Amino acid sequence: MILQIENLSFTYHSKDTETKAVDDMNFSVNEGEFLGIVGPSGCGKTTILNLLAGIETPSSGRILLRGEPLSSKGNEIALMPQRDQLFEWRTIEKNVFLGLEILKKNTPENKAYGRELLEKYGLKDFLKKHPSELSGGMRQRVALIRTLVTAPSVLLLDEPFSALDFQTRLNVCDDVHSIIKQEKKTALLVSHDINESISLCDRIIVLSARPAKIKADVKVDLDKSLTPLQRRESPRFSKYFEEIWRLLEVRK
Amino acid sequence: MTEEHKKYIKKRKVRKCVIVGLQAGILLLFIGAWELVAYLKIVDPFIISSPSRIVKIIGELYRGSNLFPHIFATLYETVLGFLLSTVMGTVIAIILWWSPVIKDVAEPYLITLNALPKIALGPIIIIWVGAGKASIVTMAVLICIVITIISVLTGFLSVDKEKIMLLKSMKATKMQIFAKLVFPANLPTIISVLKINVGLSWVGTIMGEYLVSREGIGYLIVYGSQVFQLDLVMASTVILCLLAALMYGGVALLEKFIAKKF
Ligand SMILES: Nc1ncnc2c1ncn2[C@@H]1O[C@H](COP(=O)(O)OP(=O)(O)OP(=O)(O)O)[C@@H](O)[C@H]1O
Ligand SMILES: [Mg+2]
Repeated sequence: MILQIENLSFTYHSKDTETKAVDDMNFSVNEGEFLGIVGPSGCGKTTILNLLAGIETPSSGRILLRGEPLSSKGNEIALMPQRDQLFEWRTIEKNVFLGLEILKKNTPENKAYGRELLEKYGLKDFLKKHPSELSGGMRQRVALIRTLVTAPSVLLLDEPFSALDFQTRLNVCDDVHSIIKQEKKTALLVSHDINESISLCDRIIVLSARPAKIKADVKVDLDKSLTPLQRRESPRFSKYFEEIWRLLEVRK
Repeated sequence: MTEEHKKYIKKRKVRKCVIVGLQAGILLLFIGAWELVAYLKIVDPFIISSPSRIVKIIGELYRGSNLFPHIFATLYETVLGFLLSTVMGTVIAIILWWSPVIKDVAEPYLITLNALPKIALGPIIIIWVGAGKASIVTMAVLICIVITIISVLTGFLSVDKEKIMLLKSMKATKMQIFAKLVFPANLPTIISVLKINVGLSWVGTIMGEYLVSREGIGYLIVYGSQVFQLDLVMASTVILCLLAALMYGGVALLEKFIAKKF
């Protein structure tokens, strides 16, 4: 077990209201697992990832990484944001080095590793290009490599494909899946798209409307050797879709 | 190069020639008409001066070694005012970005200062700073600095929240967020502020010179109008145009240089 979330709650405070976004949540993530989080819009999914990434501090409860509380340093958990958020004034390779620079680990070896990843995943000719010269799918791959290069153990993906058109989305989905499996990372994926979650994940947590509570924990038992696209063809796929769709549809 | 691309390049060249030609044409036409109107005494040249008189008086200034001292006096004040206000304004904007409390405290003062016509402070400045170069530079700084602070700060604050979150997830310090994201993202803002400041620092300097100076282009203009020597007023204005254009060109060059580096 790599991540344990215990009695996690979080409330946003603003001038005239407080918004409870996460309510007494408990779950854990196994090493190497691809965990999906689905839930209605505005239920608190991004908030959960922000808590895990250390951007927000829990109102109560705790998050344990390999049994230890999250530290304020280090790079065990890396976030891939909703839009790629590449910096336009940096070249592709410099974008990838961003995390290394922040962590003061931009050694020649680590940079070489970054370049190696870029080359391995088809971005060899784009090292010195700027983000605007790349297609949406390529940008997404760069964003993923930017999170991988600091060698984290857990990746947090917040609707990583939402900005892409459907065709690109299917391909990038396959890419991202294979990259994460090859690099043997644990991943948490937040998505609106039930099909996408089933095709990518080993297990899916279904959340209630805000404040987010766990409604169900669905184990997806599909052949792990298939690509996400191939998984969509499998006969049990629609069964999972229906199950999760029902869970989301039912209020309360 | 394909035939089509050659055609495209040619078309662009022709367009450029036409534009430069028209620009030069308008200028020549204007100067010619001016000269003619003055020469034929359609309007008294004593009132409107004329290009040839302007050239003559610039020549006289030069021969009396009065031209460059005046130019340098004004240029010095303007460049100093420009640099001081840009640097100080940016530094203050950084401080206000850094501390939201200080920002909120400063806000009403900034708004008031921004709305205030700075020329109204002229007499106070002269009394406090003294009737000299320092007053003129202070005037220029005062005119530029408020708008610099406001523009740069607005730029800093409008940086994408999600990009800041990304850096926070990498456990970046505030210093790193500034250095890696907020500042580079706002270089274009700062450049455009520079461009505005080029104009404003001239306004400040000339206004300051109207009030106190004994040398400089602004002084020549005031002096010329007092002794009703319109030739001198016009000549000084032309010199001012050239200097302002030159300084703007400098900033444009800097912009190109920065655009290349980033
Ligand atoms: N900074 C904030 N201040 C106050 N309330 C917030 C803030 N951020 C989010 N919220 C509220 O908290 C709730 C959960 O937000 P969150 O962004 O986690 O939802 P989400 O599940 O990611 O939604 P979506 O599917 O639309 O991305 C929402 O109701 C939102 O209005
Ligand atoms: Mg969200």
